[in-house]
Amino acid sequence: MRTSATPQSLGWLLLPALLVLALFLGSVVLLFFNAFWTRDGFSLVYFRQIVERPDYHEVFLRTVSISVVVALASAVLAYPIAWLLWRLPRWRNLLLVVVLVPWLVSLVVRTYGWLVILGPKGFLNEALRWVGAIQSPLPLIFNDLGVVIGLTHVLMPFAVIATLSVLLQIDTRLEEASESLGASGLATWRRVVLPLSLPGVFTGIGITFLTSMGAIVTPILLGGLRQKMAGTQIYQEVVYNFNMSKASTWALCLLLLSGLGLVVLRALEGALVPKADR
Amino acid sequence: MRRGSIAIAGVGKEFGPATVLNEVDLAIEGGSFVTLLGPSGCGKTTLLRLIAGFLEPSRGAIAIDGAAMQGVPPRRRPIGMVFQNLALFPHLDVFDNVAYGLRVRGTPAADIAGPVSRFLGLVGLAGFERRRIGQLSGGQKQRVALARSLVLEPAILLLDEPLSALDLQLRRQLQVELKSIQRQLATTFVFVTHDQEEATLLSDTIVVMDGGRVQQVGTPGEIYRRPASPFVARFVGDINMLPGRIVSIDAASAEIEIGGSHLRLPLTAVIGKARAGASCNVACRPESIAVQPSSGAGTGTTFAARVVALHRLGPMLKVTFDTVHGPLTGLMMANAPTAGLAENQSAQLSFAADSLTVFANP
Repeated sequence: MRTSATPQSLGWLLLPALLVLALFLGSVVLLFFNAFWTRDGFSLVYFRQIVERPDYHEVFLRTVSISVVVALASAVLAYPIAWLLWRLPRWRNLLLVVVLVPWLVSLVVRTYGWLVILGPKGFLNEALRWVGAIQSPLPLIFNDLGVVIGLTHVLMPFAVIATLSVLLQIDTRLEEASESLGASGLATWRRVVLPLSLPGVFTGIGITFLTSMGAIVTPILLGGLRQKMAGTQIYQEVVYNFNMSKASTWALCLLLLSGLGLVVLRALEGALVPKADR
Repeated sequence: MRRGSIAIAGVGKEFGPATVLNEVDLAIEGGSFVTLLGPSGCGKTTLLRLIAGFLEPSRGAIAIDGAAMQGVPPRRRPIGMVFQNLALFPHLDVFDNVAYGLRVRGTPAADIAGPVSRFLGLVGLAGFERRRIGQLSGGQKQRVALARSLVLEPAILLLDEPLSALDLQLRRQLQVELKSIQRQLATTFVFVTHDQEEATLLSDTIVVMDGGRVQQVGTPGEIYRRPASPFVARFVGDINMLPGRIVSIDAASAEIEIGGSHLRLPLTAVIGKARAGASCNVACRPESIAVQPSSGAGTGTTFAARVVALHRLGPMLKVTFDTVHGPLTGLMMANAPTAGLAENQSAQLSFAADSLTVFANP
C-alpha cells in the first residue's frame, strides 16, 4: 500500500499555482508594457497628461482624500464594535455575522439601500423634513459624501476583524494586573488595551485605505457624475475608450500612490505604536 | 497588631453548579508569610482571587485589617498581586512597568523615579530600567513583577504560583530572596503553591487545602509532625500508612497494635474518635523508622523486615523494606552505623514512637 505521494505526483499540484502566478505576472508585465507603448509607439504622453492636467490632479487628490477619510471613519467606527465583540464572547459569533452582513448582500441591492435611505426623497431627508429640521433635502448622495458613506459601509468589517484579531491576543491577566495596581477600567483601557490594540487599528486602516483607493463601482453608483475617482477613470478608459495605454498609465500611478500611502502609514505606526514584546 | 491581617469567615464560592470553596474560616496574621497549599483544583487560587477581589464570595465575608471587603473592587483593596504568568505589560519597559501603579495613582512625576529605583534595587534589578520585557530572562521577569506590586507598598501581596515556570535551581534562589524581601518589608505574603517543599521552606503558616476545604492550618513543623488527616499526611512529605488496631485507651495514652507489634502512644497522637477495638491507620514518616543493630527475633516493638531496594539521595539513604505490615519506606543518614544495608538482607526495624500519628477509623 502506498502511504505517501511520490515527489513526481506532488509536482502536478504546483501546476495550478504556477498558472495563477503566470497570469498575475503576465498582467503586470502587460501593464508596464501598455503604459509606455502607446498606439504611436513608445511614448510618455499619458504620464505627461497626468502631470500637466489640473482636472486629473483633482481626480487623484479626490481618490486619496476619500480613501483617507474612509480609512479613518472605518477605524473609528470599527473600534467600539470590535471592543464590544471582544467583551461579549458569548455573542461574538452572532455579532460577527451582523458585522459581515454588508458582504452577503449584492452590490446593487446595497447601493439601492443607500439610495432609499440617503436619496433626496429618501428616508433620512423625509424624516428630517417631517420633524422640521430642514426645508430642502440635504445632498447626502451623488457626491463625495455618498461615496464615503458607501465605501465605509462595505469596508468597515475589515477594520473590525483586524482590530478584533489583535484584541483577542491580549492576555486578560494584563487587565487584572492593571486593576490590582489601582487602575480603573477606563485607565486600564487607555494605558494597556489601547496601546496593545493599535497595531490592529493600523492594519485595518491599511486594508480599508488600499481597497478604497481602487474602488470603482461604489463611486460610479453613489458619486457625482463629474466627480471621478482614479478607479472610475481607469474603468472608463478600458470599457468606453478602449485606451489600454492610458488605463495602464493611470493604474501604475494609482499603484505608486497607494504604495506611498502605505509608507506614510508605516511611518505613522512606527511613531505612534509602542513596540510590544510577545 | 501589624497591618495586613486578613479575616476570612464562612466563605464559600460556587461557579454555577460546582462548589469550589466550602465554609472556609481563616485568620491570617499581619506581616506573616502564609502559603495556601494543595493539589490543583483544591480551591487555593479561588481563595486568593477572593482576597484580591477579582471574585466575590457566594457566602461569608472577608475583612482586611478589620475593614469588610464586600463590594470593594481590587483597585481599592490594600493588595498587590503577582500572577502565575506574571502579566507584565509587554509594551512598557522595566521602569514603566514598575512605575505603572504610581502613575495610575497620579503620583507627581518627580516622586516616581525614587521609589521605582529603590524597589528595583530591592529585587536586584538596578540598571535594568530601560530593558524591554522581551529581553529579560524568566527570573528577571519574576523580579519585575514583584517590584511592580511592591512599589505601591501594599499591606498584602498575593502570589499565585509565581515560581512554577522556573527551573529548580532558579526557583530555589528566588524562594530564598522572596523570603528575605518579605522579612525586610514585613508585608503579609499570601502564596499559592502545590509544591509542599516550597511551602515548607517559605512559610510561617501553611494552610493545607483539599476539595474546597481547609484541611489544616499550622506551622510547617506542626503540619509535618502532626498532620490532621490522612490527606495532609500524604500530601506533605513522604509517609508510610500502616493498618493497625487500638487495643486499649487510658486517660493519657493508647495502646496500638500494628501487625503484632505493640506500641503505647500519647492520646495527643491519636486523631479522630479513639475507642478500644477500633481499627486505625498509623502514619509513620520514613525517617522515624530505625534499623536495630541486633538481628534477633522480634520483641514487642521491633519487627522483621527484608531490604528490597536502596536509593542514595545525596547524604541520605532511602530504603524500601518488605515487612509484615507490607512495603515500608525508610530514610536514614547514609553514614549512620546501622545503615550498612544490602539488598535482600534481613533487618530488625522499630518505630520512633513519638513520631507516629494514629488516624482512628470511625
